[in-house]
Amino acid sequence: MEETIRLVLAEHGRLAMDPTSIDENTDLFDAGMTSHASVNVMLALEEAFDFEFPETMLKKSTFESIAAIRAGVLEVTGG
Amino acid sequence: MSQLPSAVSQSIPAVHGMPGELSEALLWYSDGHGPWEPSSSLRVGIDLVLVEDVAGSVERFGQRYVDRIFTDHEVVYCRGDDSTSPASYLQRLAARFAAKEAMVKILRPVGARPAWRDIEVRSEAGGWTGVRLSGLAADLADEAGIEQVAVSLTHEEPMAAALVVGVCRNQESPDPSVPTDRRTTKDRRTTKDRREE
Repeated sequence: MEETIRLVLAEHGRLAMDPTSIDENTDLFDAGMTSHASVNVMLALEEAFDFEFPETMLKKSTFESIAAIRAGVLEVTGG
Repeated sequence: MSQLPSAVSQSIPAVHGMPGELSEALLWYSDGHGPWEPSSSLRVGIDLVLVEDVAGSVERFGQRYVDRIFTDHEVVYCRGDDSTSPASYLQRLAARFAAKEAMVKILRPVGARPAWRDIEVRSEAGGWTGVRLSGLAADLADEAGIEQVAVSLTHEEPMAAALVVGVCRNQESPDPSVPTDRRTTKDRRTTKDRREE
C-alpha cells in the first residue's frame, strides 16, 4: 500500500522532494503540496484502491503525510 | 484631529492591530464614547490557482473531478453557451476553486473541512457573484457569526484568483483547540446564548 501511495504522490503531489524516499511522517503540505494537488492525490488514491473518501475525511490532516494517508485508506477500506 | 482618551487609544491596537493616527481617528469617529467595542469584524480570504492545474485535473480525472468539486449550478455557468471556449470554461472552474479555498480561509476549520460542494459560487444575472453555503460550511459560518459574504473572482491566463470577505457579528469564538467536527453545542454557543443562560 505504501508504495502505491508514494507513486500517487509522485504523479500528483507536486512535491518539492522525491516522495519515494521521504519519511512517512513528513508534512506533505510543507513539502509543497497545494490544496489543489491534494484533490488530485485524493482522486488518484480512490482510483488506485477502488473506494471513495467520505466527506468526514476531507480534511487537511487526512493527506498531511504518507502515514496519515495510509491510516485514512485503511480506515475506509477496513483493511 | 481630536485626541483619543488614553484608555481608548490603548485598546485599539490590541483589538485591530492597526496602530496609527488614521486608524485611531476612524475608530474614534465610529463611536465617540470609548472604550470602543466593535459590533462586527471582518475576515478576508484570498486564493490563487493555476488554470493549467485545473485543466490537468479535468483531463486526467474527467467528470469525477468536476462532480466532486463543483455544484451543478457552477458547472452550468462555467460551460456557458456555444460561444464559451474550452479555455474560458477552465478559467471559470479555476476561479471557483480559488473561491472555495478563499472561503475556507475565512471559515477557519479546525480538523474536518467543508466539502468543496458545500461552498457554491452563485453567478447572478448581471455578472455578479455570491456564495451559498451548506453543510459544514454553513455550520462554521454560523459558529463564527459570519452574516454576510462577498466574493470577487478574476482570471487571466495563466492564473485565476478569488477574494472573499466575510462580515462577522461580534461574539466569543469557539475554543480553537477543539476540532471542528468534535465541537459540542456548548462549544458553539454565541455571546447571545451565554447572556441568555
